[in-house]
Amino acid sequence: MTAIAEPVTLTVSAVSMRFGGVQALDDVSFSARGGEVLGVMGPNGAGKTTLFNIISGVQRPTAGTVQLDEVRLTGRPVNRVAALGVTRTFQTPVMFWGLNVRESVCIALTACEFGGSYPPRADRALLPSGLGMPARRRADTALRARADALLERAGLTHMGDRPTESLAFGEERLLELTRALAVDPRVLLLDEPLSGLNPDEVGEVLRLIRGARAGGIAVLLVEHAVGELLSVADRVVVLDYGRTIAEGAPADVAANPAVIDAYIGDELE
Amino acid sequence: MAALWQYVLGGVVDGAIFALVAAGFVLIYQVTGIINLAQGEFVMIGGMTAAALTTGGMPVVAAAAIAVVVAAAVGGLTYVLAIRPARGATPLTLLFITLGVDVALRGLALFVWGTNPYSLPPFSSGSAIHVFGGAMPPQSLWVLGTDALVFAALYVFFRHTKMGTAVRAAVANPPIASTFGIPLRTFAFGSFVVAAAIGGLGGVVVTPIPGVEYDAGLTYGLAGFVAAVLGGIDSLPGALLGGFTLGIVEHVAAGLLSPGWDQGIGFFILLLVLVIRPQGLLGRAARRA
Amino acid sequence: MRRLSTAYAPVAAVIVAVIAVLVWFLPSYYTGLLTLVGIYALVTVGLNLFMGYAGQVSLGQAAFVGIGAYTSAVLSVKLHITPWLGAIAGALAAALVAFALSFIVLRLRENLLALATLALGIVINVVFNEWDFIGGSSGFKGIPGFAIGSFVFDQRAYAILAWVLVGIGIWFAGNLVQSTYGRALIAVSAGELGAQALGVNSEGLRRQAFVLSAVYAGIAGAVYASSFTYIDPTSFGFLLSVNFVLMSVIGGLRSLWGAVIGAAIVVALGQILQTVIPLVLPGARGDFQSFFLGVILVVMLILMPRGLTSRFANGGRA
Repeated sequence: MTAIAEPVTLTVSAVSMRFGGVQALDDVSFSARGGEVLGVMGPNGAGKTTLFNIISGVQRPTAGTVQLDEVRLTGRPVNRVAALGVTRTFQTPVMFWGLNVRESVCIALTACEFGGSYPPRADRALLPSGLGMPARRRADTALRARADALLERAGLTHMGDRPTESLAFGEERLLELTRALAVDPRVLLLDEPLSGLNPDEVGEVLRLIRGARAGGIAVLLVEHAVGELLSVADRVVVLDYGRTIAEGAPADVAANPAVIDAYIGDELE
Repeated sequence: MAALWQYVLGGVVDGAIFALVAAGFVLIYQVTGIINLAQGEFVMIGGMTAAALTTGGMPVVAAAAIAVVVAAAVGGLTYVLAIRPARGATPLTLLFITLGVDVALRGLALFVWGTNPYSLPPFSSGSAIHVFGGAMPPQSLWVLGTDALVFAALYVFFRHTKMGTAVRAAVANPPIASTFGIPLRTFAFGSFVVAAAIGGLGGVVVTPIPGVEYDAGLTYGLAGFVAAVLGGIDSLPGALLGGFTLGIVEHVAAGLLSPGWDQGIGFFILLLVLVIRPQGLLGRAARRA
Repeated sequence: MRRLSTAYAPVAAVIVAVIAVLVWFLPSYYTGLLTLVGIYALVTVGLNLFMGYAGQVSLGQAAFVGIGAYTSAVLSVKLHITPWLGAIAGALAAALVAFALSFIVLRLRENLLALATLALGIVINVVFNEWDFIGGSSGFKGIPGFAIGSFVFDQRAYAILAWVLVGIGIWFAGNLVQSTYGRALIAVSAGELGAQALGVNSEGLRRQAFVLSAVYAGIAGAVYASSFTYIDPTSFGFLLSVNFVLMSVIGGLRSLWGAVIGAAIVVALGQILQTVIPLVLPGARGDFQSFFLGVILVVMLILMPRGLTSRFANGGRA
C-alpha cells in the first residue's frame, strides 16, 4: 500500500434517513481520520448498512451531509464518490461473474482517477480500446501486471486466471477487499468482512485492515464479530435504532451500560 | 367539437377491448410476475376461431363458446409448454419467452387461417346507437357489456370468494400458497387460462366491428399492454382506466393528427409512463420483481 | 479452438476473402441472401455488445437500422451526396438519437428497459410512416447505390461490402471485448453496484454501448438502403427487432461470432422453411416460418434461462 501523503477526514454531520415511516438514522454525527480504524457497532437494524449506503452514495440522506475534508460527498453518484476516494465492500461480496480474478482487480485499477498513476478510465477509452491502439494495449498489460502484484500481496497468488464463479466464499471476500484496496482509497467502508470466514481467513483480512490503516486510510468497520472488531478498532461508535448511543475507545464502549443494554443476549468481550 | 366527441366515442369502443387485454396482462402479472407479450394473440385466436367457425356455418353462440375455450386452451398450453419449463428464469427471460410465444402463435395463425381477413356478423341487428350526437355501432354495447361482466366477475372473484382470497394471499406471500394445499404453479396455470379466456372473449365480441386478421394480435396486444402499464400493471381497476384512457387518446390523436399516429401516441405515452411514473396511474409504487 | 475464437481480425479477414471468392460462383439470389446476412450480422454484433456484454436489453434495434437507412437514403437523393458519406451520416444520426434517448431510457433496467426500447422502436417506426418528407408509408425510392469511381456496385459488390463491414465491426468489437473496456462492460452487467463502488462510470459505459450498437445498426441500414434502392417503414418494424433478438439469442449473447452465426441461422432457417414447408404441407404459406422461429426462441431461452442478459450476477443485490 502506498502511503498517502495527507490523511483525510471523513465527516458525517447530522445525517438522518427516513423512509416508509421508519427512521433508519437519526441525527448521526461522527468523523473518521485517515490512519485509524473506526468500528461501527450496533444490533441488527440499528442502521449500520444504511449509514454505509449514505456515505458511499447508494442512498441520499433525508437530512445531513457527508464530507471528505472540504469536499461534499452527499448527493453524488456512487462512482463519483468512489472516484473521490471512498470505496466499500458489501455484506455479500459482489463478484463479476464472467471475469477471472485478475480481471476483477483490473476493473478497480482502470476506474479511478484517484491515485493518478493509472491509465485513463475505461469509460474514456472506447476509441483507443476499439482501435487497438498500442498505448492502450500497453496500459492494459501494465494493469494486469499490477493486478497480479496486488493479488500476491493479498495472499491470492497464482489465482489470477481462476474464474470468479469458482471461488470459495473466503476467496471472494479477499478478492473484494483486494479490489477495494486497489483503487487506492482514502476511506474504506467494510461491511461485515469477517462473517463466514475461517480463522485463517479472518487473520488475513485483519492483516489487510491493519495494512490499510498503516497506509493512512480511514477504515470504517461494521462487524458482528464484536471481539475482533474491538481488537482492531482504534475508536468505536455504537448505533441503536438509528442513533449514536456511544463513541470512544473500544474498552470504554465495551463497558458502557447503554451499549450492553442494546446488545442484550450478545456477549461482549 | 362534434368530431371530437365522435373520436371519443370511437375511443371508448377500442378502449373497452384494450381494457380486456390489459386485464389479462394484469392478471398474469399479478399472479406470476410475468409480462406476457403474447396476450394479444389470445384475442386474435378468439376472434379468428369464432369467425372461421361461423363462416363454416356454425351458429354464432356455439362458435363463440368454442372460441373462448380454444383461447383458454392455448393459454394453458402456453403456460405448460413455455413458462413452466423455464425453471429459475429471470423475469426478463420470461418476457422474452412470451415474445417467442407471440411470434410463434402469429405464425401458427398464419398457417391455419392464412392472411385473409375474417369477420363476424354483429350479434344484434340494428342501426348505430346515438350518444349525444355521436354514433357507435350496436356491437359496442356487447363489447362494453362484456367489459362490465368480466371486470365485475374478476372483482367478485378476488374480493368475495375463498379461491380469490387464496390467490391474493398466495401472491402476496408465496410460502402461504402451500397452506391452501394448492401449489403456486396451479395459480399460475389458472391465471394464464383465465387471461387467455378473457382475451378470447374480447376477440369474439370485438370482431364484428373491425374484422380480424392473423396479425391483429400484435395491435391488440401492444395496445392492451400499454393500457396495462398506463393504468398500473398490478392493478385491475388500472387496466380498466388505462384501457379507456388509451383508447380515447389514440382516437383523438388519430383524428386530430393523422391515422398513423394512434399507435405512436400510445407508445409515446408508454415511454412517458415508464420514465415518469413506472407504477402507472393506479399501481403501487413498490412493484413486484 | 479457443484461440481461434478470439483471433477476431485474422478470422474476419479470412471470412471476407472466402466471400469475395464465393460471390463469383453463387447465383445472384444467394448473393443477395449473403448480403442480407451480412447486414443483419453487423446489427447483431452491435446488439450483442449492448445486450450480451453490457447486459442490457433492446427490443427496438430495428429503429436504428431504419434511421441509418433513411438518413443515408434521403441525403443521397435530396442532397446528392455519395452513399459513402450517407452511411457515415446514417451512423451519426443513429448515434445521436441513441445518445439523446439514452438519458430517458437507460435509467430503466431489465423488464422496463425492454418495454421502453420496444416502445421507442415503434414510435420511431411511426415517425417513418407519418413523415411525408421521407416518403411516409409509400416509402422512399430511387436510392443511389454505392460506387467507386465509375463502378457502380452490383449484387456481388454489396455482398463483399457488407462482409467487409462485418469484418471491421468484429475487429473493433473484438478489440473492445478483449481490452479492459470490455471487462468493465461485463463487470457492469454482472454487478453494477459493485463496479460503481470501485469508481466505474457504469451509466457512461452503458450509454456508450447503446450508442455504439446504434452506430452498427445505422451503418447496416445505410447499406441496406442502397443495396435495395427502396425502403419503407415496414422494413424496420417491431418484427425485425424481434428477429435481431432471435439472432442474438441463437448465436449466443456474449459472443461476437455468435452474432454472425445467429444471423446466418435465422436467415438460412427462413429460407429453408420457405422452400420446405409448402412441399410438406401443401397449401401452407411459406411465411409462417415465424412459428418455428418463435418456438426456437422459446426453446433456447428455456434451455439457457440464465443466459439471456448474462445474469451470472449474484441475484438481488446490485
